Amino acid sequence: MATVLRSAVLNPEACRTVRAAGEEAPAKARSFSSLAPRLNSLDGKTIYLVDTGFGGSGRFLDQVQGWFAEHMPSVAIVRRRKTGHSIFRDDTKDLWAEIKEKGQAAILGVAG
Amino acid sequence: MAVATCSRTLEQEYGIPTAPVSTFEFIGFLASDLRFHGVPLRFIYTPHPVAGMPPSVLRDYVEGKDPATQRIVVEEIIEALTKPVREDEFAGDFAPASRTGVRQPLLASATEDDLQRLFHQRGWTDGLPIILPTEERVAEMLTGTNHAPDEVVAEIFLHDTQEYLKFTVEMVAIVAVMAGARPEHLPVILAVASTGHPSIVGSTTPFACMLLVNGPIRNEIEMNSGIGAFSPRNLANSVIGRAWTLLTIQWGYFRLKKQFWSSQGNPIGHNNMCVAENEERSVWEPFHVEKNFRADDSVVSLFRGWSFVNNVVGSSTRSVGEDTCVLLGALPGLFSSATLILDPLVARHLKENDGFQTKLDFGRWISQNYKVPAGQFWGTDVIHMLMAPVAEQGVEPYASWKRLPPETLIAPYDKPENINIIVVGGETSPMWKVADFSYVASASVDKWRARPAMDGCTDGSCGLPDPD
Repeated sequence: MATVLRSAVLNPEACRTVRAAGEEAPAKARSFSSLAPRLNSLDGKTIYLVDTGFGGSGRFLDQVQGWFAEHMPSVAIVRRRKTGHSIFRDDTKDLWAEIKEKGQAAILGVAG
Repeated sequence: MAVATCSRTLEQEYGIPTAPVSTFEFIGFLASDLRFHGVPLRFIYTPHPVAGMPPSVLRDYVEGKDPATQRIVVEEIIEALTKPVREDEFAGDFAPASRTGVRQPLLASATEDDLQRLFHQRGWTDGLPIILPTEERVAEMLTGTNHAPDEVVAEIFLHDTQEYLKFTVEMVAIVAVMAGARPEHLPVILAVASTGHPSIVGSTTPFACMLLVNGPIRNEIEMNSGIGAFSPRNLANSVIGRAWTLLTIQWGYFRLKKQFWSSQGNPIGHNNMCVAENEERSVWEPFHVEKNFRADDSVVSLFRGWSFVNNVVGSSTRSVGEDTCVLLGALPGLFSSATLILDPLVARHLKENDGFQTKLDFGRWISQNYKVPAGQFWGTDVIHMLMAPVAEQGVEPYASWKRLPPETLIAPYDKPENINIIVVGGETSPMWKVADFSYVASASVDKWRARPAMDGCTDGSCGLPDPD
């Protein structure tokens, strides 16, 4: 015979968010215009390969660098490790300023 | 995720086109990131994993297909840098996050078996049966504190949904009931909750935590700091530690591939090594006093790391210090963090025979005497991941260590104050544990009490059923 409980059971998820019931989570507006302008071509450009520090990222970027050397030698590749104290957030300033000054594009990876 | 945040910064603040690359495993996380930040980064995915793959496989990743699009990865990289994003490329990806709708405070009436199944199916449990939080039981639990049920204990930020969860005293009481706790345990659980620290963090690694209780509350609620203190035997140790994981579940940290990524997980999460310090049998200052609490304060302290190693039969051939160095060899030495958990016999030996008058004295000895080759240290992935950036910022001694020949010995525990030492055990044998845990936080239990401190068990080995 099934056990009958003497009082109602509370929902452990009830009232746990700050949002009012039924309120939608905040969907951000599309912001395509906030992306940087794309390059017409990579020929003659300087591309930074930024290793964000996760295991194997540097070795993957080695292969990206190798591919460009073989197939698009006019592209200048600069390798950098992400600076700052954390690989989990963007606490980098100096490297971004360097890329802005000396480069035209960046490949970042590898997340995971 | 740093690749996404860094790409956004470069795109939006520096005007640099980016090609962010991730392994396919994280496509769901990045979809959430896109939804909440609204920046249409054109992520390129490789097969998973990248770590540990030989160069030939990684070259195949570059020249092979993106598992999300079936297009060639390097072609997508070039396109990401040269072709504007099309309006239709992210169609549907900016839809509002789904919500579970209005949550009713009471569950629909059902049998106990059905409710147990419901709690498990909704992901509210740790896989074990729970005590169902009836109104009656929760009301009884709330007698364990003098704080109002609707008082907010902590606000928890959820990275994937960008929500803040307000967690009240009542919600903590519900979790405490589910864990099997008694009202007298509630102040400790509230103190843990008040830190806002989860027992796991969103990581693919097997994070683990330890929960230490100091002060008079240990004995009042019959926590075990003596014989078998880490074993599954004592009620308070078991349910308080379990409650931390159930809190963490309610805070959303176990949602698969949203917050919970641990590839293998860690069994420590069942009760988070919840234990009390055996202050009565320790020859040294209690841990909470080291953290500037008074000896008669009741305090919880939280630690986080991944692993611990046992010394299994004592130390007769080498010194305790030397054997501790051997055990440390299994751990990474991340930012000089370690936690040594010593039986009172070991602590007494260290003080009376080896001359370490304080815990810090022994920590300093470890700091000076544990050494590894620089190449071995930097060759550990977690060190490369988390400490190499600090070295590259010029922070010493890491910057100097990074320049050393690989065979040169370094002493990676350069901050002896980061070597936590606690005393736990029943003195049946002089053994100890060495963990890579770092100290996270401490919080007062006393502010959550319903009653002032009382006398209780006094020899450390408390709350152990002994029917014979």
